[in-house]
Amino acid sequence: MSDLAIDIRGVTKRYAEHVAVRELSLQVPRGAVYGLLGPNGAGKTSTIRMILDIIAPDEGTITLFGKKHTDAGVLDRVGYLPEERGLYKKMKVREVLKFLAELKGVPGADAETRIATWLERMSLKTAEKDWGESKVDELSRGMQQKVQFIGTLLHDPELVILDEPFSGLDPINAQALKDTVVELKARGKTVIFSTHIMDNAEKLCDAVCIIARGQKILDGAVSDVKAAHAGRTVAVAFDGAPSAAVDAVLRDPTLVANMDDQNRFLELELAEGAMSGTLLQRLVEAGASLQRFERVQPSLHRIFLEQVGATGVEAGMSGHG
Amino acid sequence: MGKLITIIKREYLERVRTKWFVIATLLGPVMFLVLTALPVYLAAGSKASAQSANITIIDATGAELGPRVVLALADTSGVKPSVQTTAPEETAAAESTASRAVLQNEREGYLVLDSRTMQGVKARYVGKNSSTVREMSRLGRAIDKAVLGLRLERAGLDATRIDSLMRVDVQLDKTQLSAKGRERTGTGNSIVGLLVAFLLYTVLIIYGQTVLRSVIEEKATRVAEVVISSVRPEILLAGKIIGIGGVAITQFGVWILGSLWVGSNVVPMFIKNRSLGMSAAAADSLTRSSDLFTSLPSMSPALVIAPLLFFVLGYVFYACLYAAVGSTVNSESEAQQASTPVVMLLVLSAVFLQPVALAPQSSIAVVMSMLPMSAPIVMPMRLSLVAVPAWQVAGSLVGMFVACLLAIWFSARIYRVGLLMYGKRPSLKELFKWLRYS
Repeated sequence: MSDLAIDIRGVTKRYAEHVAVRELSLQVPRGAVYGLLGPNGAGKTSTIRMILDIIAPDEGTITLFGKKHTDAGVLDRVGYLPEERGLYKKMKVREVLKFLAELKGVPGADAETRIATWLERMSLKTAEKDWGESKVDELSRGMQQKVQFIGTLLHDPELVILDEPFSGLDPINAQALKDTVVELKARGKTVIFSTHIMDNAEKLCDAVCIIARGQKILDGAVSDVKAAHAGRTVAVAFDGAPSAAVDAVLRDPTLVANMDDQNRFLELELAEGAMSGTLLQRLVEAGASLQRFERVQPSLHRIFLEQVGATGVEAGMSGHG
Repeated sequence: MGKLITIIKREYLERVRTKWFVIATLLGPVMFLVLTALPVYLAAGSKASAQSANITIIDATGAELGPRVVLALADTSGVKPSVQTTAPEETAAAESTASRAVLQNEREGYLVLDSRTMQGVKARYVGKNSSTVREMSRLGRAIDKAVLGLRLERAGLDATRIDSLMRVDVQLDKTQLSAKGRERTGTGNSIVGLLVAFLLYTVLIIYGQTVLRSVIEEKATRVAEVVISSVRPEILLAGKIIGIGGVAITQFGVWILGSLWVGSNVVPMFIKNRSLGMSAAAADSLTRSSDLFTSLPSMSPALVIAPLLFFVLGYVFYACLYAAVGSTVNSESEAQQASTPVVMLLVLSAVFLQPVALAPQSSIAVVMSMLPMSAPIVMPMRLSLVAVPAWQVAGSLVGMFVACLLAIWFSARIYRVGLLMYGKRPSLKELFKWLRYS
């Protein structure tokens, strides 16, 4: 038994006008929460669709649980929540869910008991109202999202793939989603989700892969990624506005390679060969009244911006990442 | 296989369970009868003969031909033409008076009889209804009869003998001769033929567009992506077409069984009860007009199976094309335009229905019944009208089968790509590229 839930090797997907994914390789260990990060148009959705055999790669191989992803029954072990969500509007909630479960190979009677449990758990069936008997288009948007989410998990998949799961969620549903992801991990399931909101990824993911323009920029465990970029970032805060002399020190390219104003503090990336001690000394000499001077681990957000940069977002690219 | 059945089940049950399906299935035949029978009823109604009788006859023959035409036109409505006898040279004046009467809506038209009419060559009719085929042929027959009667009388025959000699009303008893033997057809079959063709055309359009709307719905609501993450798009497409086809067959079945039941139980009972208090002639004509109904149960199995077979092939062909169209558009309003080529294929067959019905062995009829896009409509109609050579039936079926395979291949490729493409509609060039995507 392979201990990799997903093993993608050298996958390329070309469209008539552009290359969506270029020689991408990534490995997702079983039981991990994995973040697929990248700007819009980076190739995230294309990658996910290839994993699910919705589109076929032009080159490369995709293996799920040690088996070819096109093998019979393999995709029945995967649950998928697409970025754009939708259900049959005129069908009853229970029937839609039963249909989705049967498509994943869950027998009808089994599906019905699971649906009942899930509806209660997501408070779609309460003492006053059983939304399961309502048609989908009678439900509010939030409730429809819950139904869609149930549909993704109904067959108890070992691998859950969520494409931009946080987009369009209100804070309450977003929290519920985070809780569910944590619970899935606790039950030994593998979760992979794409996002361009780094905050979510940083909090939730064990490992990440950053892709831009169809290519992998970096990947690995979040702690490793952060460690690899640590030691070069300093958080600085002053009492009052910095003087011109202090400003000049901050703008010295031999000391500071990059500066990100976070309002309450500045996040500085030290220039190649520069020492944080030198910077502190120079700042004190320039008469800065320091409130904070701290070597910090960079945020994923910071790493993402550094690695992808403004050029990572291809101009004029629309549609799905 | 299990997943295919899941999809078929959903497509079928979601439609059969709706109120609309029940209403359409029950009211469909009523609507259909109204649509087909009403024009026939109106054309054959008594109003028409009243109109053709409400005319002025200008008789310049000097031989009393006018009153004979009046007699020949006579019917039960009580409206009689007025005869105006004039000298040949005064015809023009009489005509201007008569046209004034027409323009003032007192008369429907006027008929001029002169020496040329007596020679059996020509009569002239001027009127508002001069282009109605039925009334004009009635008028023509009345004139023929009057001239013939006059000639016979001049040849020295007794007036009463002429009357009895001229009382001719032959009912043509038609029998279709085919390899399977003789089969009495009557007028029933040709009407059944047109009815079947029209029904096939309507059902192909309705269910083709159901497939179209279903594909658009899945694409627009984005359910499609969830579904094809579980099954291959080809399975979704196949399940959809089979499921919706099942709905059509169900509806067909209800209609066929219903009409057989009506034909064998209700109609004969109705005729029997009504005939009791009628004159023999009236009862006879009623029986004759019920030919259509009584001939339904005696329809050969081939007449039922053939349309079904042609329907299935035709449906698969058109459903595939409609599905391909549906996958390339983003909304129903876009679909209207995009589906025009497919609709044109169907309409083309409908346009040729009447010529084919009138001359079912003509070369146009043969060609139309062999071309895959019109065969599902035209061939069943020809089959019910004439004995079609076996090679033509076989050729037509094989052609449609091949066309279906091509349509399935084409549609599956377009559908697979189109389902995930949003935004601008693809150009023909792009569609061609889609066909080559792996």
